[in-house]
Amino acid sequence: MIDIIDLHKAFKKNKVLKGVNLHVDPGEVVIIIGPSGSGKSTMLRCINYLERPNRGIIRVDDLKVDARNVHSKQIVALRNKTAMVFQHYNLFKNKTVVENVMEGLIVAQKMDKKLAYDTGVSYLEKVGLLDKLNEYPAKLSGGQKQRVGIARALALNPKVILFDEPTSALDPELVGEVLEVMKDVAKEGMTMIVVTHEISFAREVADHVYFMDDGIFVEDGKPSELINSPREERTRRFLSRVTLRVT
Amino acid sequence: MNQLFDFDYMFRSFPEILRQAPVTLLISVGSMAIGLVIGLITALLKIYKIPVLSWIATFYVSFTRGTPLLVQIYLSYYGIPKILAFMNIGLNIGQVPSIVFIYVAYSLNVGAYLSESIRSAIQAIDKGQVEDAYSVGMSKVQSMFRIIIPQAVTIALPNFGNSFIGLMKDTSLAFIIGVVEIMAQAKIVGARSLRFFEVYINSAIIYWVICLIMERVLYWLEKKTRKHLET
Repeated sequence: MIDIIDLHKAFKKNKVLKGVNLHVDPGEVVIIIGPSGSGKSTMLRCINYLERPNRGIIRVDDLKVDARNVHSKQIVALRNKTAMVFQHYNLFKNKTVVENVMEGLIVAQKMDKKLAYDTGVSYLEKVGLLDKLNEYPAKLSGGQKQRVGIARALALNPKVILFDEPTSALDPELVGEVLEVMKDVAKEGMTMIVVTHEISFAREVADHVYFMDDGIFVEDGKPSELINSPREERTRRFLSRVTLRVT
Repeated sequence: MNQLFDFDYMFRSFPEILRQAPVTLLISVGSMAIGLVIGLITALLKIYKIPVLSWIATFYVSFTRGTPLLVQIYLSYYGIPKILAFMNIGLNIGQVPSIVFIYVAYSLNVGAYLSESIRSAIQAIDKGQVEDAYSVGMSKVQSMFRIIIPQAVTIALPNFGNSFIGLMKDTSLAFIIGVVEIMAQAKIVGARSLRFFEVYINSAIIYWVICLIMERVLYWLEKKTRKHLET
């Protein structure tokens, strides 16, 4: 359902992705871990073409995009099939909470305004923000902003939601509320690709975990296997560093 | 007639000068509106680095900011007829009212200044919101006009205010090609009575009051547009 084949990306001479392959089944939650600068976010951003890969194939649903021969219509189509939740929320500051959710529906999906509003309200209810509909993002806490971000992604009804370190910018006491919402989303069968440093979340929610280092996937497996008994030395070193920090 | 300052005359001549205030306002508002469009286009050309056009935009801004407005008015007044004649347009340039040349000169002048305000305001919007707009499926143009520009306006508004107030006062140069606005009217009335000081006090008061009103309007606009930034 989602396939990434031999994805390469370089910024000038700096090779960030060196041939990444990834397969995600519908309804699966795939979590990508790895040290900073290993290329996790770049890979995620290539999937909806916020970064332009140099080489490789991205397949989402029935849409196949070959980086060597890509049409701008394909990029729009790709973005319509995917949604993204950003580390820094990136809410539209000039729009209220409900307008933030409606914006993509009205402008990109040409949804009727009334229907978009109702859709927005129902998803905001799901993330527990019914009382903030008409607030501007500046008035929300980080956790609330990120829940709006998730509601916005859900409302677009995408084939997959890409989470780019959704809790990394949050105060520690706000991480929980966002992870809870993400768990609910996962339970409802949404396909998710999540880049995160939350190892315990990965253990609990992931169907499959990938470890990335230096632009390639070093190893992957069921969370219990990869996190508890990694095969590769690099994975072991990384996990011991992050879990030491947590405990 | 020999008194040092004739208050009575000042009050009596005030309405006569005030009568031309609409001309001043019309030039200011009209040129500002056209200038905003020119400024936005110029700013976008520079931001997206459109080949050739962005070089022209850079030249235009540099030239306009580097030459006096007075010179630009003369260039417009004497230059446009020559260009039209060269292009052989069957238009009797003698019938074109002077105010048209004023609009051309002032719009181009204020447009150059505004383009820099607009450019800096657009570039002040964080890139994340643009990426977000793309990720929900919006096009470049849609994200520019629905997300970036509304926020850029908030940032640029104080600068717009400065430009507008400057422009309004600069209209006092329009009399040199025969447009009768506040300043020209003061000159005419003053020449009749030779009470120049009194009539120029009048014109100063009118300019100042217009500015005061502008300041209030801008303050109100700023408050209104900053609503989304309140915490």
